[in-house]
Amino acid sequence: MNTQTTPGFPNIYEIWVYLSGSPLLALILTLGAYQIGVIVYERANRHPLANPVLIAIVLVAATITLIGMPYPKYFEGAQFVHFLLGTATVSLAVPIYKGLSAMRGRILPLLAALLAGGLTSIASAVGIARLLGADSAIVGGFVAKSVTAPIAMGIAERIGVSPTLTAVFAVSTGILGAVLARFVLDAVRSREWWQRGFAIGVAAHGLGTSRAFSVNAEAGAYSSLAMGLHGVLGAVLIPLGVRLLGF
Amino acid sequence: MISGLVQILVFQGLGELITHFLLPLIPGPVVGLVLLVGFLALRKSVNASLDEVASTFSQHFGLLFVPAAVGVVMFWPHLKAHALAIAVALVVSVVFTIAVTALVLKGLSRGSRQ
Repeated sequence: MNTQTTPGFPNIYEIWVYLSGSPLLALILTLGAYQIGVIVYERANRHPLANPVLIAIVLVAATITLIGMPYPKYFEGAQFVHFLLGTATVSLAVPIYKGLSAMRGRILPLLAALLAGGLTSIASAVGIARLLGADSAIVGGFVAKSVTAPIAMGIAERIGVSPTLTAVFAVSTGILGAVLARFVLDAVRSREWWQRGFAIGVAAHGLGTSRAFSVNAEAGAYSSLAMGLHGVLGAVLIPLGVRLLGF
Repeated sequence: MISGLVQILVFQGLGELITHFLLPLIPGPVVGLVLLVGFLALRKSVNASLDEVASTFSQHFGLLFVPAAVGVVMFWPHLKAHALAIAVALVVSVVFTIAVTALVLKGLSRGSRQ
């Protein structure tokens, strides 16, 4: 027990030990940082660069580094938020189901676009990273990065690469997609909302979808459809592909 | 709200069980998702409670990524050493993916309309 603090004052060290022993500190940190992120995003008129998730990640990472809290300790508390990723994934069934009737007649172009986009995502990221000399741990982290993070982490475990690194790349991809999508889609002259939304969902999963919903409802629905389909197909095809190619 | 959450958790649980005992290749939540889509297709409707939970999740999906992504601190030195490769790969890949997906959609749906 630390007895060096002045008697009569609350012992900061004891408070700290008490709080960090419960999940509360990590939960307050996570939700508080996200709340700040959302406020900044609203104040910035939902500018894509003021991404609330990016802000939250930077704030939490900076805070735990500053107070010297090891990441596994933080995660012990924050795992309750993390757990809900699986639940949120299951809840994607609702937008997928709603999108199914609108999809009729478009199913072929959508599936072809999903396959083309998914392959492009893996091939370009893995190819460029290898070309620029990244090591195999990092290259492995790129394989599932366009799939929504909870599924991507599941895939990563199955193909024997780091789930954390995969999650970091998946989130970065989501943020980049949310930021860059408008410019890329304008450049290739994609004008229909359903096409724009679907392209964002294939490339930038959940974060792209949040962004798409905040721009246009149809784009959001197609984006969540794309994210769900990419997740399901990715979960089946990526481990198979990795096994076949012996990567 | 609660009944929707219960439905989702039950399907998540079913998915985890199936993954554990039958289909180790596919993550449990994905199996749960597919089962729930099947269930909704059979019932032909989404009840209000389930709809509410699903839209709350999709609005704040981003929050749930934070704990895993903060893991970036553990890889920081490793990531910094490969910063250029990582940044280029991420940016080029996301731009290509969006462009290819949008172009394929545009090309194919134009063809099918005629």
